[in-house]
Amino acid sequence: MAKRKPRRSEVKKIAKERIGLLLRMAEECCRTDPALSNRYVEIARRISMRHRVRINWYLRRRFCRHCHHFFVQGVNVRVRIHRGRVVVTCRRCGHQSRYPVVMSHPR
Amino acid sequence: MITPRNILRHELIGLDVLVARASNPDHTGVRGLIVDETRNMLTIRTSQGVKHIPKKYSVFRLQLPDATTIEVDGSALVMQPDKRISMRIKKER
Repeated sequence: MAKRKPRRSEVKKIAKERIGLLLRMAEECCRTDPALSNRYVEIARRISMRHRVRINWYLRRRFCRHCHHFFVQGVNVRVRIHRGRVVVTCRRCGHQSRYPVVMSHPR
Repeated sequence: MITPRNILRHELIGLDVLVARASNPDHTGVRGLIVDETRNMLTIRTSQGVKHIPKKYSVFRLQLPDATTIEVDGSALVMQPDKRISMRIKKER
């Protein structure tokens, strides 16, 4: 009875799927249960860090980079456009992120 | 995709579950949606409220997104959710 270690490619694949699942579920419950959606962000970040898998850019922007709370539009985030850049301000911790308005990343 | 082959490593949160057998009789028959997971416990939201069920002493019947049902011995799942991805699985002969 040998203990089998999973192949690295399979680990990365499952990690990516799980991160996507968790953040999608965080979005679904962010208005009804914000604490739970923050918990999903926490788990997704842990998976990403432990298995060295990057969170995709369009998911990365859904939570604060500083306090890691999930952004609920209109509730804990302020989104403004200034000089061709989107400025996202987390109302909870005050951290600001800026992105160019037009992004040509492949989805 | 969650398959019976990788269920031990994949995400349990969001799956429908029934506690088929448990050493604590109060836990058997608990049915609902898994909303959280820790090293030893599954948090299940049922119609009677939120229940915390230990993994080690229970057998779970999970319904996968593609509608297949699989029974999993909870003691094989005892691990932090992020660590479970690269767990070593004993191959049973």
